[in-house]
Amino acid sequence: MSAISIDGVSKKFRLQTDKAHSVKELVTRRDRSTDHDSFWALRDVSFEIPEGSMYALVGHNGSGKSTLLRCMAGIYRPTEGQVKVDGRISTLLELGAGFHPDLTGRENVYMNATILGMSKKQIDASFDEIVGFAGVEEFIDSPVKIYSSGMYVRLGFSVAVHVDPEILIVDEVIAVGDAEFQRKCFDHLYALRKKGVTIVVVTHGLSTVESMCDGAAWLDHGVLQLTGTGPEVVQAYLGKVNAAEREEREAADTESRAEGLGAKEDVTIAKVEFLDEDGFSSRVGFHRKPLTIRIWYEAVRPVPSPVFGIALYSSSNVHLTGTNTKIDAFGTPTIEGKGYVDLSMDALQLTPGDYELTVAISDEFIQHNFDRREREWRLTVREGDSATPEGLMDLRGHWSAGA
Amino acid sequence: MWSYRTLIVNLAQRDLKARYKKSFLGWAWSLINPATTLGIYTVVFGVFLGAVAPVAGNGRTQSFALYLFCALVAWNFFSGTVNISIQTFTSAGPLLTRTYFPPEAPMLAGLTTVAIQAVLEVGILFAFMIGFGNVSWTFVLVLPILFMLACFAFGIGLVFGLGNVRYRDVNYLVGIALQVLFYATPIVYSLDIVPAAWRRVLELNPLTAYTYSMRQAVYELALPTATNWLMMGVSAAVSLVVGWWIFGKYAPLVIEEL
Repeated sequence: MSAISIDGVSKKFRLQTDKAHSVKELVTRRDRSTDHDSFWALRDVSFEIPEGSMYALVGHNGSGKSTLLRCMAGIYRPTEGQVKVDGRISTLLELGAGFHPDLTGRENVYMNATILGMSKKQIDASFDEIVGFAGVEEFIDSPVKIYSSGMYVRLGFSVAVHVDPEILIVDEVIAVGDAEFQRKCFDHLYALRKKGVTIVVVTHGLSTVESMCDGAAWLDHGVLQLTGTGPEVVQAYLGKVNAAEREEREAADTESRAEGLGAKEDVTIAKVEFLDEDGFSSRVGFHRKPLTIRIWYEAVRPVPSPVFGIALYSSSNVHLTGTNTKIDAFGTPTIEGKGYVDLSMDALQLTPGDYELTVAISDEFIQHNFDRREREWRLTVREGDSATPEGLMDLRGHWSAGA
Repeated sequence: MWSYRTLIVNLAQRDLKARYKKSFLGWAWSLINPATTLGIYTVVFGVFLGAVAPVAGNGRTQSFALYLFCALVAWNFFSGTVNISIQTFTSAGPLLTRTYFPPEAPMLAGLTTVAIQAVLEVGILFAFMIGFGNVSWTFVLVLPILFMLACFAFGIGLVFGLGNVRYRDVNYLVGIALQVLFYATPIVYSLDIVPAAWRRVLELNPLTAYTYSMRQAVYELALPTATNWLMMGVSAAVSLVVGWWIFGKYAPLVIEEL
């Protein structure tokens, strides 16, 4: 049973210009919707959101997520196709939408809750709960214009989730609150879902999508790319984002290299190698086996105590760790000409998977980067001889028991 | 629309509450404004230009100010409704693009606030009339007259409110149109002093029927003519039906531009 079914939905917007319409245009042009002054925010999008699920829409800014949410909420009428909604909808599309700055928190709660379809009696009954959840008891009789933005969000969120919706539509608004409130929000959303409420969220917090959402849809320039489980969609989306980023980096690198020809830096990264336990260069490392990262440099003039640094990223974009010769208190000597610096590990603590490496060489005060290559090297880690732990890291601790 | 009555009442309440927040005289302002207008017109037209009102229904009272007031109440209600409709649709934008509810709701809320103002003014008008001993059952007729006037003004307001989003010219145009209309309606003068040829033209203006009927019911204590009833009934029905239909059809499209 689906709570919302989206069937071939397209949405065309007229582009608004400053001087909207001249009188001449009004008189002469019969059909005012040519393709010049309009664009498609959504193109033939179809998918279903199952009842009682938590569903996420992901995509970069301007991909049509919010437009789709508004179509679901009935605020926008699709140009083509249709949205079928089965249940009472509550929306939280923007913080404190409908809050009147001059009215008190109390007055605004009543106002906002009525807009979302609550009766006076229902509001009376849950008023204390709403205010308590938002944590603004002290200020409830002050005009909301004196509220901090956090208080604003909290009160708006609190009203939206207490109207007892069957379907709750939430745009990227929770992110405004502090960490504690965000956790509270997600806890509450989770509780709502347990009660059978269908929740649709737009979010950039991909870990939320992975861990909390039953399903997700990925939009790109108004076109549906993929629907599936949270982790599936996030993986595919990240793959695309990473690829695009890499392209951008490469373009920037070529550019800076072209620029740099005239004024060459004192020292540059020549190449980076991974060496296995026998000292042979390899693209692959093994879990819990020795591995050495060798950074080759080329210095055109003497550089006193440069700092060599590396940073490791997982394929899902997590910055795992980073260190440099200064942090590890290794005094690099003055370098000149060609040479290398090694970072040797007795046992690789990464679990099997793909990783990316950023390498940089900077001056002794880490004020100036002579050379920095963002995630230019890729390291694949394979299973070693021992069993593989979960997650990305191997803690390599020692268990013991006592009584 | 009926299921949204709580929302309409709340929206109206919000606007009224917010309107006079932080002002010392508060609600008194809603009366000071019309009182000033009434005072100015009485002095300029009644004293300087020597306009004379007919004798009232009780056969004794003869007051230009009261004669003027009867028509002014109707005019204020009309112009107030048109103006608030234009304002409301734009100012309700942030709400309409973020939550779903029928766009007619804030418009009706706007109408409600103006209607409350009209009721206040009528109350004061009645109080004066009672003070002068000019009272009759015809006062009851004010109800249907103002009801039809509300429909008439609201239909126009809906269309202009809508038009103003795409063409801000509407706002300016309406400002001028209202000014012209004010003098094209027998408010500061009576229809009797207008030359016969012009009278024909003025009689085509539906507002003439409304102001004339108000004066009949409250000042002359007589019945409006059948022609007036017909004029009011038809203008109210046509305006409301056409306005509501256009609004219902185009408002969802216009909301995207708010």
